[in-house]
Amino acid sequence: MSEEGLDVLLVDDEAIVGKRLKPALTKIGCRVEVFEDPREALERIHQKTFDIVVTDIRMDEIDGMQILEEVREKSPRTKVIMITGYAMMAVAREAMEKGAFDFISKPFKPDDLRKVIARAAEALGSPLDFGFAETKAS
Amino acid sequence: MNPKESSSAPEAQEEQGALGDRYERIKAAEQARKALLARRHYSLRLQIYLGFFLVLLFAAGIATALVLTMYQVEDKLRFLEIVNDFMIEIQQARRFEKNYFLYGTNLSDALENVYKAREISNRNAEELNAILGKRSMSPIFPNLEQYESLLEELVALKREDQPGPRHARRKKEIEVALRKHGQKLVSVAQDLIAREKAALSKTILRSRNVHIYALFFLLIFMAANAYLLGSRILGNINRFMKYASRIAAGDFSPITPARSFRDEFTDLALAINQMLLELERREAVLIQSHKMRAVGTLTAGVAHELNNPLNNITLTAHMLLEDYETLTDEERKEMVEDVVKEADRSRDIISNLLDFARESGAQVETLDLKELLEDTIALASNQIKLSGIKIEFKATDHLPRIHGDSQQLRQVFLNLILNAIDASEKGGKIQVLALPADEPNYVAVKVIDFGKGIPEYVLGSIFDPFFTTKAKGKGTGLGLSVSQGIIAKHGGKIRVHSREGMGATFTVTLPVTTLPAEMPGNERTA
Amino acid sequence: MSVIIVSSDSYRKGREVAEKTAEALGYEYLDRELLKAVAASHDLPEDRLEKALRESPSLFGISSKNHARYLAYIEAAVLSELSRDRVVCHGLAAHLYVLGVSHVLKIRILADPEEWVKLTASEKGVPPEKAARLNKREEALQKRWSLGVYGIDETDPSLYDMVISLSQIDADEAVKTIVETVSYRRFKPMTYSIKCMKDRELASRVRSALLERFTDVKVRADGTTVVVETKALKREKRKKAEAIKELAGGIPGVDYVEVHVINDIFRQAAESFR
Repeated sequence: MSEEGLDVLLVDDEAIVGKRLKPALTKIGCRVEVFEDPREALERIHQKTFDIVVTDIRMDEIDGMQILEEVREKSPRTKVIMITGYAMMAVAREAMEKGAFDFISKPFKPDDLRKVIARAAEALGSPLDFGFAETKAS
Repeated sequence: MNPKESSSAPEAQEEQGALGDRYERIKAAEQARKALLARRHYSLRLQIYLGFFLVLLFAAGIATALVLTMYQVEDKLRFLEIVNDFMIEIQQARRFEKNYFLYGTNLSDALENVYKAREISNRNAEELNAILGKRSMSPIFPNLEQYESLLEELVALKREDQPGPRHARRKKEIEVALRKHGQKLVSVAQDLIAREKAALSKTILRSRNVHIYALFFLLIFMAANAYLLGSRILGNINRFMKYASRIAAGDFSPITPARSFRDEFTDLALAINQMLLELERREAVLIQSHKMRAVGTLTAGVAHELNNPLNNITLTAHMLLEDYETLTDEERKEMVEDVVKEADRSRDIISNLLDFARESGAQVETLDLKELLEDTIALASNQIKLSGIKIEFKATDHLPRIHGDSQQLRQVFLNLILNAIDASEKGGKIQVLALPADEPNYVAVKVIDFGKGIPEYVLGSIFDPFFTTKAKGKGTGLGLSVSQGIIAKHGGKIRVHSREGMGATFTVTLPVTTLPAEMPGNERTA
Repeated sequence: MSVIIVSSDSYRKGREVAEKTAEALGYEYLDRELLKAVAASHDLPEDRLEKALRESPSLFGISSKNHARYLAYIEAAVLSELSRDRVVCHGLAAHLYVLGVSHVLKIRILADPEEWVKLTASEKGVPPEKAARLNKREEALQKRWSLGVYGIDETDPSLYDMVISLSQIDADEAVKTIVETVSYRRFKPMTYSIKCMKDRELASRVRSALLERFTDVKVRADGTTVVVETKALKREKRKKAEAIKELAGGIPGVDYVEVHVINDIFRQAAESFR
């Protein structure tokens, strides 16, 4: 990391997810790049190492599992957070086994993700100032 | 407007689906019932009774004729007997007469015989008259009377006992006359006997002929009756066999009158019509319950799919709440619009399913097959996504339209697609093709999967009710059987082609619309 | 960092493995001892609860209404313990009602038949043949119980993540295997699986509260929303729904209650025949 804050890549083929989460995560000190097309996201992942990747699982052509695998391969320290509307035990276990940092089922609140990101930041050794969101959530 | 109509009209409008259709069916059955009963009654029982009555009548006639002939024969025999007795007496008298003339003896004996003959003739005069008729009676009497008077004269002559030439001459005269009358008397009697004998044998011959002819006639009559009765019963049985196979093929239209009279088979037809109503109701229930199972399968996919718009709403609402003060009016408006849009999307996701789940009866309309299949695939799309399978849909441009019940056809295609999903491996694909069929005036829909395929030994039974290869509790084994019933009702066919390890292809062929508003099967007459 | 649920055909062998696993991992150990607390909090004799775990409802035993209540109390207590994480649970039928939670490792321990017979024989003081018969009966009874109460056959291996037969692997080795398995990442708790556990815990709490007054309720929870399904006659529908809403709404952790009342066709039919 060159400067303060975390580099976060978010990919979800639902446009609204990126549109809403970008300001939500920016607020807690993340630099967020949002993608709707998983292909473009993968390209970007190969260009740049992110601290955190948030990805939807069910997407056309390339699914979240593939993104997870490629991220883990390229940069083991990157924390990958899976979000999906199609949450099931088998999928969750598969994602964890492939090295996902966490797995969130849709629908979730912005704070749910922010909490996970905060934990990821902690695990990365650069805790976020999360107080702001915490107070809001309660 | 009559009150009955006015009360049923709003109901029919309210539920134009299953109920409306059911009303139609019941109405059709009621019309068929009336038409069946409106005919003249000519029952099988009547035909049988009539046949037997005619035979009985004929037999009674023959019996009467035979009895009459018998009486006739009896009469003739009696007549012969009388004439015979008469003749014996006369012959006896003539023998005594001869003796008298030869030896001068027994004249009184001869007279006695003549008296006896006369007595016989007198006693039986009535009978003889009856048989011969009065006319023919007369020749017997004069001769007998003359013969008798001559004999009496001879006796008187003998008593006088004064032989003289006059006396002798008179005796000679009497002798000649006596011989003449005696001969005449005998020949008349003989002639009578001969005549009567001939008549008797004629009567016996006639009686024999009557026997033989009557037997022949009876044979022919009974054969004809059996033939008529048999062909009536067999013809009707054949007709009902045809109904049975038509019903088995899924055509539940009621039996309508086929003949100009009604009989026991009419009762059978009425019972079958009643059964058809019941069968149809049960089939509707079966189709609906099977549909609900498909809906149950789809619900899981829909529930997951709903999570996406729901998530969008949650995120948007929470961010709106969080940043309300700092957002511009424009941004706030955009977010609220997003919420509205996503709520609409949620509604669309379920409405498609709810639309399909709604109970509705056979509503026949012209359908665009491509549209129908797109709808069906949309319905199954969540299930397809959930199982990680890709679906390819191709339809030939300008496919002719088909006629049918869109709900039921969707159910069939959905069932085939869900089966294909079950058969496919994760990451596999399914193809759905709509194209003109090989036969003219038919279109075909192919649902192709690339799974394990169906083993040959079960291929023959996959359309059987309750046959399933799925795990216990996973399938009812009714899907394909119900589908086949639906397609058969639309005048089409489902075929399957599969090789183990090579996937399976289910082909549904459906007739294209040629005449407007005609569902195959409805126009059939019984 | 996970939950381990141990189920076994022999209670004693299962307990041995479960206890040792808890010790090895430094997890909390949970078994029928918990029933004491449950009994105390609901003012019930403890042996009734234990009986409900062993026996199916019957005419002479526990009525089906009480049976459902007792089990609901146990479930609620177990789930609240399990949601604290780092727990090994044994003998509380948790494998039958904690389903679909990815960080719960479910283990089936199969006792060595011969050893099990010996154990039973010495415990009950009966000859081995009789002990074998007793074991067989016990097994059949448990299977019937699980099918009758939860509709799940607990002897079905596909229910578990791992089945260990003690006739080939001894208890210590089994513990080692379990400890190693539970360290796999797939059994780590995550936001989703923790939510799943919390949902189940809330649902069971609401259900056990509702069963105090109503019979035949099914409860699902999602976050702070609770969905209750029940049966009622048409005329009672509204009243019942309102009563449930009020009762469930007062339970901590519940924000919103939704009640689905299904028409009770059986009772309706029964009443129409009167």
